[in-house]
Amino acid sequence: MTIFFKWLRIICKYLFLIATAPIWVPFWAVWWLLGKIGFVQFATDWAMGNGFYLVYKNLTRRPLRFFLTLFAIFVAFLIYGALTAFDVAFNAGVELAADDRLITVNKINFTQPLPISYVRKVEAVDGIAGVVHMNWFGGYYQDPKTQIQTFAVDQTKLLDVYGDDIILDPVQNTAWQQNKQGLVAGRAVAAAHGWKVGDRIPLNSNIFSQKDGSTSWDFDIVGIYTGSSAQIDTNGIYIRYDYFNETNSFGGDYIGWMGIRTKSPSLNEQVIKDIDDMFVNSPFETETVPEKAFTKGFLAQLGNISLMITSVVFAAFFIILVVVGFSMVLAVKERTSEIGVMKTLGFRSGRLFRMILGESFMLVFAGGTLGLWAATAFLGFLNNVPQFPVPDIILTPTIIMQSVGIMALLALITGIIPATYALRLNIITALSRR
Amino acid sequence: MTSSFSQIWTVILMNIRSLPQRFWMSFAAVLAVSVVVAVLLSFLAMSNGFKKTLEGAGSEEVAIVTRSGSKSELNSVLSRDIVNIITTAPGIAKNTAGQPIYSPELYVVVDGIKRTTNTEANLPMRGISPAGFDLRDRVDIVAGRMFEPGKNEIIAGQAVQREFSGFELGKTVRFGKTEWTVVGIFSTGGSAFESELWAEARTLQSQFRRGTSFQTVRIRLAEPGNIDGLLNMEQNDPRLALDIQTEAAFFKEQGEAIGGIVFLGWGLSIIMGLGALAGALNTMYTSVSSREQEIATLRAIGFSNISAFFGTLSESLVLSLIGGVVGTLIAYVFMDGLSSSTMGAGFTQVVFTFKLSPELFKQAILLALAIGLVGGVFPAWRAARLPVVLAFRGGV
Repeated sequence: MTIFFKWLRIICKYLFLIATAPIWVPFWAVWWLLGKIGFVQFATDWAMGNGFYLVYKNLTRRPLRFFLTLFAIFVAFLIYGALTAFDVAFNAGVELAADDRLITVNKINFTQPLPISYVRKVEAVDGIAGVVHMNWFGGYYQDPKTQIQTFAVDQTKLLDVYGDDIILDPVQNTAWQQNKQGLVAGRAVAAAHGWKVGDRIPLNSNIFSQKDGSTSWDFDIVGIYTGSSAQIDTNGIYIRYDYFNETNSFGGDYIGWMGIRTKSPSLNEQVIKDIDDMFVNSPFETETVPEKAFTKGFLAQLGNISLMITSVVFAAFFIILVVVGFSMVLAVKERTSEIGVMKTLGFRSGRLFRMILGESFMLVFAGGTLGLWAATAFLGFLNNVPQFPVPDIILTPTIIMQSVGIMALLALITGIIPATYALRLNIITALSRR
Repeated sequence: MTSSFSQIWTVILMNIRSLPQRFWMSFAAVLAVSVVVAVLLSFLAMSNGFKKTLEGAGSEEVAIVTRSGSKSELNSVLSRDIVNIITTAPGIAKNTAGQPIYSPELYVVVDGIKRTTNTEANLPMRGISPAGFDLRDRVDIVAGRMFEPGKNEIIAGQAVQREFSGFELGKTVRFGKTEWTVVGIFSTGGSAFESELWAEARTLQSQFRRGTSFQTVRIRLAEPGNIDGLLNMEQNDPRLALDIQTEAAFFKEQGEAIGGIVFLGWGLSIIMGLGALAGALNTMYTSVSSREQEIATLRAIGFSNISAFFGTLSESLVLSLIGGVVGTLIAYVFMDGLSSSTMGAGFTQVVFTFKLSPELFKQAILLALAIGLVGGVFPAWRAARLPVVLAFRGGV
């Protein structure tokens, strides 16, 4: 029986090693290579020479405490990385908004309609490079709970205004121009529902109905668009306004809003004034704003998400500041007599100061790097979940730079008190403590 | 048996009384736990407040009728004819004159300026009739007066006053070509209706060119919760394609819109709790190692290792409990009653206040105790297994 368990254990061990091979083999290979070219020996000598080895040994002399403190730091940076990346992605719309794009909506509110006759009038304004009108369709596919952003647009003008963001194959675009029931879906939404070019799908509206009372429309998927960068949202669908307007029971030749591209951002101010002045005192007064401002205002309606995220991140850092700070103080206090001995042996106070500071730096940077790495892995996993209704969330270089800054700050704060303690420690007090 | 209990009790008391000696490490553990608890409670209070605000708006005695599949009042459209048909259904409460009590309503969105960000936000403007006023419980004009029929007058909810500027009593607001005067401020006891502007339905229809169409009908039920009469009619009349729910059910569904916040709150708190747990374990291991000799001595004079185990465990639990209470107090002082607004299911702003409840406190304290339990069990195990011989080692 015991023999059996022994063998089982050995088999399990090797199975585990084989299963996890993709993870450890690269590390092992690098280590082996470094050893071959003598780098490991060199690094060891180097670390021994300048005290890094001592720092490392001090840090890990109580492995459990080292591990626990490291883990606390890991958790904080995991939270920081994941949440900040989410915040950046959430606000990406503002960052990505083109400076030369404007949005014209009804002054009462953007859910109020505008007459379609406004489009011609706006097109005639000086400094405008393109105008596309849009309607919110309120679309959903099969499940009313999962709304799809569906816009009924002027298909001939969409790319004039949004061509920098939306990449649509010219062949597919031509097919769309020729097919009234054609629909162009974003890469993400198409992948979520398994749509391919050539499929015919029914799409429901939770606002409009056809003249026969049905709320379902049939569409041919003629194209799938991609974003010009990973942060561009591709969860949207574009359908043709002419088809929508002819078939819906309200009819009325109304549009929701207009997307406008100006010839140059410097003309924005003049164009905004010209458009809004044109319709002042009409039953449909307009409000034209830069796309950036509109997106920002829209996100602000959801609430102050950034403040929420900042507070949580701040709380997480506060916890590790406390946990790491007090353990560092404790770790150094425990070594009081040892520091006394080192001073007696001729170690300079400045060197001891740097050594202890080095300890906190090594600790925080090890935990922080692991945390960010885990955040990247987590976000990578999240981005691959189908039907996750946001654009890709990524750790941008800015976030990584910021975290390095925070790590340095944190290491400094937690290390400075024990380091100063060691610096000031008098040999006599140190050795007479017991 | 009694002696073993008294042993445990003695050791627990000893541990707790000696806490000040290990003040700073204990302080770190308490602080870490309290922050985790405060974060958890903020999320829970937010979600709870939002839910309460919407649920408070719904009544079991009122049915709400929307166009089939529209999911929200904004998306729904009902023609005058449809309203006239459905209000003849059985099961509707009648007034003294024998007329059914109902209120066909309009729901349009207008811009308000959010005070916190100074940006435009979607405010619901509801066209109601005098009957609609009576269909809401606890509705009360707290300042000014009711709007007069046929005039461009609005009354604004208290929450609108709090979170948005431009709708103060006596102010004139412009929507398109028409000007409206704010003649009154109303309260509905903190429910979602307070985030709305109300005007007379017919005036709103003409000023927003809605013809004779409405968006929803609210109907007073003869018997609370019983909408069978309405449902039957809807099913048997081919002209009707409607969704009929009690108002309570309708708003309950909308209150679940930010249910994800609860998961997010728990997820973040548990991950942060792991960080705090690392702190707690650190504290407790330090505590055990600083009392090694004391524990061994107790063992040597006849105390059981069970008492050493429980002594350390209860020290950890006490610390985390203090942390839990401090965190709860922080949340109570800073979060409870905080006013905020977000985009609700109706595509308009819902103003709500963060609301803590005894149930939430219980959950927070349980989380704190869980951290204390796990953070105490392993160090306690070590304390229980310390060799007695340590007591006789001099020095060290």
